[in-house]
Amino acid sequence: MTNRSVLGNSVPRPDALDKVTGGKQFPVNVVLPGMLHAKLLRSPYPHARIVSIDAGAAEKLPGVKAVLLPQDVPQRKYCPVYFVPTLAPSMVQDMLIMSDTVRYAGQPVAAVAATSAGIAEQALELIEVEYEELPAVFDPDAAMADGAPVIHAGTEKNVAVNPVISFGDVEAAFEKAEHIFEGTYQTQRVHTCYMEPRVCVVDSDVAGNLTVHSSMQHLFGLREKLAFALDMPEGKVKVIKPAYIGGGFGGKLDIGYIEPVAALLSLKTGRPVRIEQTRYEDFISTTRNPIKVYLKTGISKEGRFVARYAESTLDCGAHATHGAEVINVHGMFGILLTYPCPDQHWEGKTVYTNNIIGGGYRGYGSPQGAFAVESQIDEICEELGFDPVEFRLNNSYQQGDPHPFNPAAKLDSYRFQDCLQQAAERIDWSSRKPAGSDQGVRKRGIGLGCQPLWVSGCVGFPDIYEHSGAIVKLNRDGTADLSTATVDLGSGQITTLCMIAAEELGLAADQVRMTYADTDTVPFDAPSHASRVTYSAGNAVKAAAGEAKQRLLEVAGGLLEAGPDDLEVRAGMVCVKGSPDVKIRVADVVERAEAPFVVMTEEGPQPTNLAEKGTIIGLSSMAPPANPSPATVEFVEVEVDTETGQVDVLRVVFAHDLGKLIHPAGAEGQVEGGFQQGMGYALMENLVFDADSGACLSSDFLDYKMPTAVEMPVKIESIFIESDEPTGPFGAKSLSEPCVTVPAPAIANAIYNATGVRVRELPITPEKILTGLGRL
Amino acid sequence: MKQLISLEINGEVHELAVAPQDSLLRVLREDLGLIGTKKGCDSGGCGSCTVNVEGKAVYSCMTYAMSVQDRPIVTIEGVGENGKLDPLQQAFIDAGAVQCGYCTCGTIMAARELLATVSSPDEEQIRHAIAGNLCRCTGYQKIVDAIKLAAANSA
Ligand code: FES
Ligand code: FES
Repeated sequence: MTNRSVLGNSVPRPDALDKVTGGKQFPVNVVLPGMLHAKLLRSPYPHARIVSIDAGAAEKLPGVKAVLLPQDVPQRKYCPVYFVPTLAPSMVQDMLIMSDTVRYAGQPVAAVAATSAGIAEQALELIEVEYEELPAVFDPDAAMADGAPVIHAGTEKNVAVNPVISFGDVEAAFEKAEHIFEGTYQTQRVHTCYMEPRVCVVDSDVAGNLTVHSSMQHLFGLREKLAFALDMPEGKVKVIKPAYIGGGFGGKLDIGYIEPVAALLSLKTGRPVRIEQTRYEDFISTTRNPIKVYLKTGISKEGRFVARYAESTLDCGAHATHGAEVINVHGMFGILLTYPCPDQHWEGKTVYTNNIIGGGYRGYGSPQGAFAVESQIDEICEELGFDPVEFRLNNSYQQGDPHPFNPAAKLDSYRFQDCLQQAAERIDWSSRKPAGSDQGVRKRGIGLGCQPLWVSGCVGFPDIYEHSGAIVKLNRDGTADLSTATVDLGSGQITTLCMIAAEELGLAADQVRMTYADTDTVPFDAPSHASRVTYSAGNAVKAAAGEAKQRLLEVAGGLLEAGPDDLEVRAGMVCVKGSPDVKIRVADVVERAEAPFVVMTEEGPQPTNLAEKGTIIGLSSMAPPANPSPATVEFVEVEVDTETGQVDVLRVVFAHDLGKLIHPAGAEGQVEGGFQQGMGYALMENLVFDADSGACLSSDFLDYKMPTAVEMPVKIESIFIESDEPTGPFGAKSLSEPCVTVPAPAIANAIYNATGVRVRELPITPEKILTGLGRL
Repeated sequence: MKQLISLEINGEVHELAVAPQDSLLRVLREDLGLIGTKKGCDSGGCGSCTVNVEGKAVYSCMTYAMSVQDRPIVTIEGVGENGKLDPLQQAFIDAGAVQCGYCTCGTIMAARELLATVSSPDEEQIRHAIAGNLCRCTGYQKIVDAIKLAAANSA
């Protein structure tokens, strides 16, 4: 690895100035001349057939410009998930923009475009829909039972996908196991709660070409899914990259109803059409799928994992969408690959119900797995008298082991054990008391949760896109423009990629600017998801910057009379290696490359050199070399009020194995925000639905509780264990998701340590704790 | 139905026609182009739309435009003097308190009320002052740091 001058410093975020002064560039602010506003009519029934729709009165309302009904939309089934090809065999194509059957309460059945959102809303009330109600089912076990309502014709027992993975001979292994533990762990439905609503503006031209603005996590995915759903060639769809969006966290990782509906309304009217979801609509648009995990584990006398059997039932709601992939990531990275175990069997079921559809959410199936696996480890240790830190140390992968997911690679930069040891020391693990032994009404306890193995992208998964591209262009003032299709969700993608380009080019961080991009002008990039941007897009940006640098050195070499290999760039200067005084400013080299062949000098017109002419530019489009695994450990200390069941999180210590650190403050911010999401998942967040109608009962922030500044602990401590990932850009791998995955089991284990109460169902509400204490 | 009213926003008086049900948020964003004030929920639950009315932090989505006639309103566009950033804005940048930034302007407006009344607030005062401003990115820690920093820099 080379020395780093830019990376490792918490430089100011390039987008921060705009955001503290008003944040002009959010997609929610896009306004086009003549723009119409559309609204969706949504079904009040969870399962029904539409008998008839009469929109005559709505069409006549002054200001209404177009109405869209199921018969107006292409009946082409698609999978909305951005990161896979639309027809990926691993996914399920079961969605239509609108259909004559509704499968969840809130599914769109019609849309209106009008000159104002208010008129569009009024018009919705004038649309008469006659429904034939069908029996609905909301529980995945009931949906799999004989005689359950059929949600999608052609599926058996409402099971959308049913992956099974086995290693070794699990039955024989259980027979040899010294101890066997089993338990069932249930997680709930939560929302990512991005703060900027899903919003889009779609415009069309007379030739039927579309231009799309949207708050989403993937430019090219939106282009592909939209073109497919509308049955039009991709070349007719251009998606404009937003400068940044107001949060995503996986919740904007699939095409919504709004983009195709706005597109069709725009094609009908020839005008730009905007749709902004209300918070209620956002709450019913995407969710982390609830999963019930039955987990049975065999342990040897020495405390090693020897056998593991698991069944996971995922409630995907009305359409499979992400549920077809979440189940696999959950099985692999949530359960099977967490700790080495030779004999394992796992079966996953993604089950249709008449609940709302699922979506992506940080962790993508691993939070549901970690809650089961990490809670059960605590139970095992408690029962058998093992120390939970020692137990995990004895059961972990080692640096240099073959990568269990991509065995061609090795766990070169793996530092899980260091994470465990350093974080344990920081929280003073040895002072932990026996479970429930704290005296008094308010009891304290310490707990631990881990994500021993995670990803830096998706290399190795079937059907998932994983390549990136970038363009780096040098300017005559010595700065560089970087363009990529990578969307900044808020987690600092712009900052990270500009820093990587600056490091490679030998420029200061603020000399590289992230600039405009759309699907016509930049190479493909997979979405901002799966903890992949730093590693995958970072490698592509480094390559593009490297290509630009090579050309810079060639031109500079002509001017300094040196070969490009003898030159280097530092602090905006190209200099001869070993003779730092022989140098020229980057700006002067670019000026020369861009100058006319004959330049005017004091001595009159002078010819230069044709070979040095041309914009200094670098381009890359490439798959990353591997998929290195980061690891995460978290300890929390809680205080439980045994009279009220209230839990306060007092202290949080994270340790992350993340390769080389790029932006310390940005990394801390990721972890601190991740903990907020994980703590909400552990203790309070829950989307609640009416048991009969399937209507969402927690569709605003008054009913859907997430941690505020008051509930959050005062300090979240981050330990970053650095190592040099040989395939990463300047040694980096990834960070984003495990900090969301580990809080729930860590908190559950801490609550157990404080009170002796084990809760196997999230969220761990005061009622559940009081019930466990025998007080309710 | 619409009625002509005047609103004093960021020191400038605007005459405009509003309907009785129009929220201040809608008027700011759609009629006046003051898009720094954000809509996160439109129902009083997130704080993205916070502005100052007579120095107090209020949710503009829950405030009828008609109800704030002749009461000085400040939005994020009116924060900072002579083209210079307000200490809070600078501190949010310096402390790394901005991620997606969607909550940022609302939170700054909430913190403005606090710093106008308490010159060096403690941790608890800060956390309570922004308890009505949801942030999904930062975990609030760096936002609290920023407000402390702004208080120190304004002292
Ligand atoms: S938009 Fe006003 S509180 Fe959420
Ligand atoms: S920075 Fe994204 S919501 Fe606060």
